[in-house]
Amino acid sequence: MMLNKLNRNEILSMGDKFRIYVLLVVVFITMTIFAPHFFNAWNLTSIMKTVSMNATVAIGFTIILIVGQLDLSVGTIITFAAVIGLGLKGAVGYGLSVPLAIVAGGLIGLINGVLVAKVKINSFIVTLGMLTALQGAIYTITGGNTIAVTDHQAFAISDWLQHQIIPMVTPRVIITLVLVIGSSVFLRKTRIGRNFFMVGGNSQTAWLAGVDSDSYTIVAFVISGVMAAIGGILFAMESAAATLNLGTNSLMYVLSATIIGGTSMAGGKGGVFRSFIAIVTLTMLYNGIVLLGLGNEVQIFISGIILASVILYEAYVEFKHEKLVGQRPELLKELEAAQ
Amino acid sequence: MSDELVKKTDTRSVTQNKFKRIVNVAGIYGVVVLFVILGVVLQALGIINNFLTATNMLNIVDAVSMLGIVALGMAFITYSGHFADLSVPTTMALTGIVAVQMLQFGFFVAILSAVIVGIVIGLINAFAIGKLKVNPIIWTLALNYMTLGVIRVVWANKQIYPDMISSSEHATKLFDNIYRLRFFNKIALPMIMLLILVVFFHFLMSKTRYGIQLKMTGAALKAAKFSGINVEWMIGSAFVLSALTATLGGLTVTSLSRVGAWYNGAGYDFKAVTAIVIGGMTLAGGRGSIIGVLGGVLIIGLMNNLMTLLGVGTFSQDMIRGIIFIVVVGLNAKSLRSMGRDDA
Repeated sequence: MMLNKLNRNEILSMGDKFRIYVLLVVVFITMTIFAPHFFNAWNLTSIMKTVSMNATVAIGFTIILIVGQLDLSVGTIITFAAVIGLGLKGAVGYGLSVPLAIVAGGLIGLINGVLVAKVKINSFIVTLGMLTALQGAIYTITGGNTIAVTDHQAFAISDWLQHQIIPMVTPRVIITLVLVIGSSVFLRKTRIGRNFFMVGGNSQTAWLAGVDSDSYTIVAFVISGVMAAIGGILFAMESAAATLNLGTNSLMYVLSATIIGGTSMAGGKGGVFRSFIAIVTLTMLYNGIVLLGLGNEVQIFISGIILASVILYEAYVEFKHEKLVGQRPELLKELEAAQ
Repeated sequence: MSDELVKKTDTRSVTQNKFKRIVNVAGIYGVVVLFVILGVVLQALGIINNFLTATNMLNIVDAVSMLGIVALGMAFITYSGHFADLSVPTTMALTGIVAVQMLQFGFFVAILSAVIVGIVIGLINAFAIGKLKVNPIIWTLALNYMTLGVIRVVWANKQIYPDMISSSEHATKLFDNIYRLRFFNKIALPMIMLLILVVFFHFLMSKTRYGIQLKMTGAALKAAKFSGINVEWMIGSAFVLSALTATLGGLTVTSLSRVGAWYNGAGYDFKAVTAIVIGGMTLAGGRGSIIGVLGGVLIIGLMNNLMTLLGVGTFSQDMIRGIIFIVVVGLNAKSLRSMGRDDA
């Protein structure tokens, strides 16, 4: 009987881990069958293009959730980095402006991290304040205009970033994949990476075990800032323009994907690669919805429903689990049998 | 010996509690007074005009009255330790658009249906967060998107106007008056609503059993549960209250703009959190007061007014607001910690 119970729990936890792969396959097959022009090289390439930016951002966001914090400012960091990187190009060239943009992202992350870990302000508040401040900064710097670069070199780089090395694989996709797989291996296989999970699981236990929780929290925010900046600057370089609503939808997108991918808001649980798969799934879904001729409003509605049902399902499992805590089902069954 | 020690610690913690509350509330109004003095000095130096006039003061309150209404209800959620209700923007939009649509059956039907919609949204939140213990931030964010989707699918991305739908001139006029009714030609109806809500909610939060149980739920959920408080009901009721004030805010905003549309109420979620947290209510739950939240709302109003009078651009205002927000909250957290009351 115990064995049965264990198996059931194992199956449930496998369901948690693999549901995103199942979802990916289901969405892919459904869209291939029903959505016109979904399964062709051109469309799949355009899907990968959308995936690239959000996937990079999702790496940092997943690590933030793993250490048990929240970063609402990723969307504005994307835009901020794009504005810095393209805005300074005229003065110093990409060679310096791109590193500067990434450093700026890291600095913003550092400020967030120090305020959260050292000054001990709730990350929700810190990043909300940062979001408001950065939003203002972006509009003040640009005066509300899109920044476009139009010289020869910028177009050459833009072309290079989107030329297909092998069908459907552009340099940007490769950069994204390297970052995703690299950080996934780093989190799973190195001691430092695994410590992030420990800090998120229980930061006091981690501290007692000799892990400096504060530093890990700060580093997580820095990674989040850097990743958001990389995602933003690459997207802007590819389109040779930085629009001011570049990162507006990213927060909801990345948050949904990370949660659907099985990373827990409570911290200590999750995976970068699964977030990446979730981003791919969501992007395919949205793309398919558009191809089916349904509008933006249906897309918003469906993304809300998916996110809501995933977290409701998780909460329901937890709810049933909590009901079982302190009960001994095998004893109850024995009693029933005896009667 | 040890008993005495416990007693001593106890008395000290009680006096500190009172002291803390005074500092907290006075601290907020200290900042309010500081801003007013700043305005007066700037006016005396001739940098800005018309700051310290009755009209301007009323304008400040008028401008933040809707934010105040929404923030007061959401404060109950923060007080119960559940951060915030991010579904407020679309609750406002949906109740507003439903009210406009229902104006064809008369004014009171419109208000009633808006309130029913608000209560339903509140109950959905209450069930998911109170009963199933979903994380409040992601849940309300997801619900926000679902409601937004409902509005945009049902009304097909269109805006609707009260005067085109309404059954009679009279109903339209009544609806317009939700925002526009002025007492003594000066005091607007939303201000009166805000005042009534402040008095009522302050009484509810600090003088009734409900308020004290909610405080315990927010401060120590498990302890509250084991001392026999029905925490699911407490948390759920906070979300219903927030949805109700969002309905009130939504009706007012819709009446102000004379149009029912999906973007009514956008931004009110974060603005309300800002006001609540500046007002000294911490996200850890169980701390702060309604009077403090009112102070937070007034600070936001004063800040906006001063910056506009100084000619600061809208976008730079955002930047300054974000920085002031972090600084005020940081100072608050620091002072609490130095008194030995650590806050998340």
